[in-house]
Amino acid sequence: MKVLVVEDEKELAQSICDYLATEQFICEQAATYAAAQEKIELYDYACIILDINLPDGSGLNLLKELKEAGKIDGVLIVSAKNSVDDKVFGLKAGADDYLTKPFHLSELSARVAAIIRRKSFDGKNIVQFDMLELNLNEKTVKVQEKKVEVTKKEYELLLYFIGNKGKVISKGAIALHLWGDDMDMTNDYDFIYTHIKNLRKKLVQAGAPDYIHSVYGMGYKLAYSK
Amino acid sequence: MKTKLFAKYSRITILVNIGIFLMASVAFFYTLHFVQLNQVDEDLKIEEEEILLYVRQYNELPKTFSVDDQLIEFALLDGPFRKRYFNRTNLKDKKGHIEDFRQLIFGVQADGQWYKVTVSKSLEETDHLIKAILWITSSTILLILLATFIINRFVLKRLWKPFFKTLAAVSEFKVNRAQGIEFPPTTTEEFGQMIDTLQQTTQQAQFEYLSLKTFSENASHEIQTPIAIIQSKLDVLIQDEQLTKKQSTTLQAIYAAIQRLTRLNSSLLLLAKIENKQYEAVESVDLKAKLEERLADFTELWQAQQIEVTSSLHESAFFMNSELADILINNLLSNATRHNYEQGSIHILLTANRLTVSNTSRGGALDKSKLFQRFYKPSQTKEDNGLGLSIISQICDASGLTVHYNFDNGRHSFIIQKQEH
Repeated sequence: MKVLVVEDEKELAQSICDYLATEQFICEQAATYAAAQEKIELYDYACIILDINLPDGSGLNLLKELKEAGKIDGVLIVSAKNSVDDKVFGLKAGADDYLTKPFHLSELSARVAAIIRRKSFDGKNIVQFDMLELNLNEKTVKVQEKKVEVTKKEYELLLYFIGNKGKVISKGAIALHLWGDDMDMTNDYDFIYTHIKNLRKKLVQAGAPDYIHSVYGMGYKLAYSK
Repeated sequence: MKTKLFAKYSRITILVNIGIFLMASVAFFYTLHFVQLNQVDEDLKIEEEEILLYVRQYNELPKTFSVDDQLIEFALLDGPFRKRYFNRTNLKDKKGHIEDFRQLIFGVQADGQWYKVTVSKSLEETDHLIKAILWITSSTILLILLATFIINRFVLKRLWKPFFKTLAAVSEFKVNRAQGIEFPPTTTEEFGQMIDTLQQTTQQAQFEYLSLKTFSENASHEIQTPIAIIQSKLDVLIQDEQLTKKQSTTLQAIYAAIQRLTRLNSSLLLLAKIENKQYEAVESVDLKAKLEERLADFTELWQAQQIEVTSSLHESAFFMNSELADILINNLLSNATRHNYEQGSIHILLTANRLTVSNTSRGGALDKSKLFQRFYKPSQTKEDNGLGLSIISQICDASGLTVHYNFDNGRHSFIIQKQEH
């Protein structure tokens, strides 16, 4: 699967590609409107990460062109402007999601994963990871066909981890994902610890291996147990 | 107490006027008095001449006859009388009234005999005249006072109208409003100058304010990108499995700092955007629904800190921007949580026109005068960027709401209320 990052800040684009590039993703970059136009014409992408402010044009126009050409590539807009108008306009023009700078790469990755999921498995809303099975419609978790009772936050947390499997997610990124941008609870991560502890316990009790690992107090990582 | 300019002005003019009139009437009085006396003296001299002429012709005294205001008396003397002088005295007139008289006294020799002649003339008319003058003077002064009063009351008031209108317009002026001041038209040169100057000054202030506003919004926007780059690099960096524990601790500190920076910047950006009127779209917001939604989000957090939350929510519609309503509720709840302690409590009360959020806190009362200022940090906690309350106040300002703060019994309360119209 190919992902295109249309972003004029080269370093940011590089970080995104470094993070996203795995066995299943090939990440390409375009720093200008013209370069992006060319790539979009030539290839199909599973997802396009699109910055609105490009030196030679607006990402929104690129989005329009894409939709007019009948391409079905998923589009995630990233913008430095946290403006509702931009957001509404972008989503109306056919973008799948909208993310405001600055963002955590884990957040971006989870959203890209969600977009690809929606695009590739139409109607089939099951996400799997090893022994885990998440039903996106019912928001339920099963371990080997056995339902695990999780809270709303625990479900969101698990889905977030699966969208970033094998990656270390910082505590700040987890807090931001669970509680939103404007819930000003900086540096108080005790409650995250409690959530993760509970989730791990529930999964292990249901018979799954302990997938979630703490990494030096920096963050957490979901990985196959060795 | 300050005196009105035209009261001061008229006080001076009235005093000066009264002074001038008093001086003028004194001068007038003496001049008239002197002229009148002179006239009387002339009359007395004519009478003297007539008497002397008669005596020279006939060598005997004339038959005396007195009229109303003129008396002539002859007194027989033993020796010669060569004096001649004027005198003033009170005499009874024929009707028996005591009156002021002017006399000319001289001697005459008739038929070898000396006589002292006294010719007296009444000064009553002069007195009448002086009384009349005094009366006219005082009534003129009264008339002037009355006229000045009327002028102050009506004419000056009208003349000063542009001034007071300008004053009212300027006091209404707010530098953060887009529209300028509407000045009243005037034909008075001084007011015209004042209005021109005010117009220039306020326009300049608005312009400066606008460019400052744009600047801070742009600056905040520009800062987003480098923060995004740093944060993304950190997100990539922590994936490195070779990191040592020490490096991880350092990274964690960098994360925390970046997060503070992000929050600070987004708060500043939010303030700039509210000021720049980017949340103008208003609608009827169901605060009850919004609060219920947010309370659910907070529940787990409160449970973790064993904070007891009681809420009483009634149907309430606030006419404001929906996004701002979200931010407002969030800030109020976050504040009440952050400045709380374990096993503390939070009360939330929503009625049709009012939202009250109160919480227990270790800190004492906040300084009401500084409370809503930017970067006011009573607790000196690191996490607090000092913008939360300022955002609350700014949102209330922009949404036609008022915010009050109370401290009672160790509880901070914030009361958001619809402005009464």
